[in-house]
Amino acid sequence: MTDEKTASPGRPRSRRAVLAGTAGLAVATSGCVRQVRTVVNRDAVDQLSVTIVTLPADGDREGIRLAREVAAVLEAVGVDVSVDMRSNEEFLRAILINHEFDLYVGRHPGGTDPDFLYEALHSVYAEESGWQNPFGYANLQLDDLLEAQRLADGEEREAVMAELLEELAREQPFVPICVPEEHRFVRTDRFDGWGEAHPATRLGYLELEAGDDVDRLRTAHTDARISENLNPLTAEYRDHEPFLELVYDSLATERDSEIEPWLAEDWTYDDGTLRVRLREDCRFHDDEPLDADDVEFSYRLLQDTELEDGESPSPPPRYRGLAAAVDAIDVDGELDLEFELDAGEAVAERVLTAPILPEHIWTERAAPATVRGVSVAQGATEAVTVDNVPPVGSGPFRFGSRTEREHVTLERFDDHFTRREDVDLPEASVEELRIQIDPRSTSAIELVSTDSADITSAILETYVLDDLEPAPETAPLESPSWTFYHLGFNTRRAPFANARFRRAVARLLDKDWLVEDVFHGYAAPTATPVTEEWTPEELAWNGEDPATPFFGSDGELDVEAAREAFEDAGFSYDDGALRVRR
Amino acid sequence: MLVQVLLQLAVVVTLLTLAGIAVIVGRYRLRDTRREWASRLRAATPITVVLIVVLLGNGVARQVVPDLSWMFGWNLTWAIYDIEGQFILWLQSFETSALTAFFSFVYIYGYVFLLVFPVVAYFALSNTRPLRELLTAYTLNYVLGLVLYTLVIAYGPRNMMPELVEALMYDTYPRYQHLTRQVNRNTNVFPSLHTSLAATVGILAYQTRAVYPRWAVVAVPLAISVAISTMYLGIHWAIDVVAGIVLAYVCVELAGLLVGRWSVTERFDVGNPLSRLR
Repeated sequence: MTDEKTASPGRPRSRRAVLAGTAGLAVATSGCVRQVRTVVNRDAVDQLSVTIVTLPADGDREGIRLAREVAAVLEAVGVDVSVDMRSNEEFLRAILINHEFDLYVGRHPGGTDPDFLYEALHSVYAEESGWQNPFGYANLQLDDLLEAQRLADGEEREAVMAELLEELAREQPFVPICVPEEHRFVRTDRFDGWGEAHPATRLGYLELEAGDDVDRLRTAHTDARISENLNPLTAEYRDHEPFLELVYDSLATERDSEIEPWLAEDWTYDDGTLRVRLREDCRFHDDEPLDADDVEFSYRLLQDTELEDGESPSPPPRYRGLAAAVDAIDVDGELDLEFELDAGEAVAERVLTAPILPEHIWTERAAPATVRGVSVAQGATEAVTVDNVPPVGSGPFRFGSRTEREHVTLERFDDHFTRREDVDLPEASVEELRIQIDPRSTSAIELVSTDSADITSAILETYVLDDLEPAPETAPLESPSWTFYHLGFNTRRAPFANARFRRAVARLLDKDWLVEDVFHGYAAPTATPVTEEWTPEELAWNGEDPATPFFGSDGELDVEAAREAFEDAGFSYDDGALRVRR
Repeated sequence: MLVQVLLQLAVVVTLLTLAGIAVIVGRYRLRDTRREWASRLRAATPITVVLIVVLLGNGVARQVVPDLSWMFGWNLTWAIYDIEGQFILWLQSFETSALTAFFSFVYIYGYVFLLVFPVVAYFALSNTRPLRELLTAYTLNYVLGLVLYTLVIAYGPRNMMPELVEALMYDTYPRYQHLTRQVNRNTNVFPSLHTSLAATVGILAYQTRAVYPRWAVVAVPLAISVAISTMYLGIHWAIDVVAGIVLAYVCVELAGLLVGRWSVTERFDVGNPLSRLR
């Protein structure tokens, strides 16, 4: 405000002088205001304040511990953190449906085949609700790689995948933390064949051989959601469990990451065209026939639950990636279908693992869900919101009864094709499957020990594993694992859109130490979200993280180094607090 | 499993109550009770009916409350943790297996005895006012507690810090999980209804110490033990317990104001079929 000096105060002035003075004042003021404006109109840069969404110990004992460890290291580098615990379905609703989070810690369903990444990260899904890209992540280069791996097969696919995983490790749209081991506890005196197939898949239960006079399989399940909602399309209520696969058939089924025929008798793949033939005389549990139209309908519903071929489809929050590979389906008679696919053979076969829904029940669910007096979000159709009780499928078990938070009971469906003489597939060996809800691992184990249950069907929490004592009638059961714990960023929100920031956060986590401390060693630290056989050598765990090595050692964070990394990434500190423009 | 636990609970509480009748109530009051039970029952009937209706309604509401809370309630867990954080850890640092056994016993059996026995003891008094106040205070606890549960979502310490706050009881005695699961949702920890009902009994026991000096000596320490047990077992935060005590105080004061004011029997002199039978 240098002009102030020219006006000398305290002296009578002529009119002209006053006028000139006024003009001068105006000029002076405008200069002053401009400068004030340039100062004031810079938004203050505040301390970064974030909320980590996760489950309470009753829902995920390891999850809340990881979340608190993440909170601790973020606080150490000057971030203001709070942890928001939500119930199982509220947690998934927040991250998958409403994208109401800065960060979250949880278990990702993952997949035996890395194609699940297409659904998880493709940028066209950034605006959708569901397991499709909850991070809101968009990277054109990654999109290209995701599409390329779909079309490729064999070694070519492996090469594309390696490149894709490298890009992922560099970008860290989410931080893979570890792959937890899957342990369950089973009774061996009543059933044989535990572990013949994975107990989170339908075959895991169908491969069981019941002992003499055993006509009932009882599971102790620690997650109550299966008793509250039986809709295969609702993401918030679904977890790593096989029960809806037992009620709903799919065209093909997975065994040890291989795809085998199931409802489809066989198929042939030829350059993007998959010709599928269904088994004859299959019926739904309500005795309506299952034909090619139901199959075509199911995939159409999975692409758009409003069943309109409109510009803005309302896809369900599950199976999005699989259904997206389907360009067109031609129905050729009652049993034959022709899929036009945007996928190589490997991914094409996976497309066949989606559930087949009865057209006569689900057609009317294409209407938008309504709650009187409340405006409902676009795309919230009846199909994705209905609790679907009783579920009517065509699978080896049909719905019997349920009491919320107590049990779900399934009965054998005697007309199922696996019970035919000429079909050589595993069939239900018991008349009844009772899923008993029991909220804690310790009491679920007690139910198995006291012969009130045959298996703890959900994964046991790791803290009970050291105390598992095998007896003559019981045994622990370990199964391969493809789910993984991860730290998810909401890249729609600053500063998580910045890959440099995400990388710096990833390097705050000592995955080795977390596995020992939180999982009692019953997990494997990982730098990639895919199974071991798909992990390229450069990204294999070698005692430390090959992609984002930890700042420090043995769980002790080197705070100085970490803060420097944030400064190098372009962020600044003031009074110990990390300041971030939001 | 549940049936077994319930049976055990019933047996233990019955035995404790019988012992309490022998030691605290005494022979003379029992004799009078045999003579006057019908008129006392008539005096207590209206509030008993209200309490039963509230309890039944509560059972239904508990199914709905969590869903309502997630739609409208405040999630206060982190705020509570931020304020008091370390207190529960400090309390649990005194852990021994004897203390765990004691507090688990108090949390389950001691608590139920604490709620059941005064109903019997006050019924044995010619003056029905303490009984009516007690039942009114119970009713208010459940009603106000439910309102607070709807407004506030909070998870207890064991859900926040599973590795530090051992869920002592549930892991040492998994069978109790079957019992408490029937009663509690894990998001309903603010306020501690265990504490508020126990404190209600404690405050009333103190008020009636002239009539039942021995009961006051038993009830007050037992109520305090129940409050401590909820924190020691990692089920409640200290703030939940403080809120529980405040709720208890409010309920007792309100019960004192309400009882007698809306006395149905005095106002309408409702004919009781039981009295005509005499």
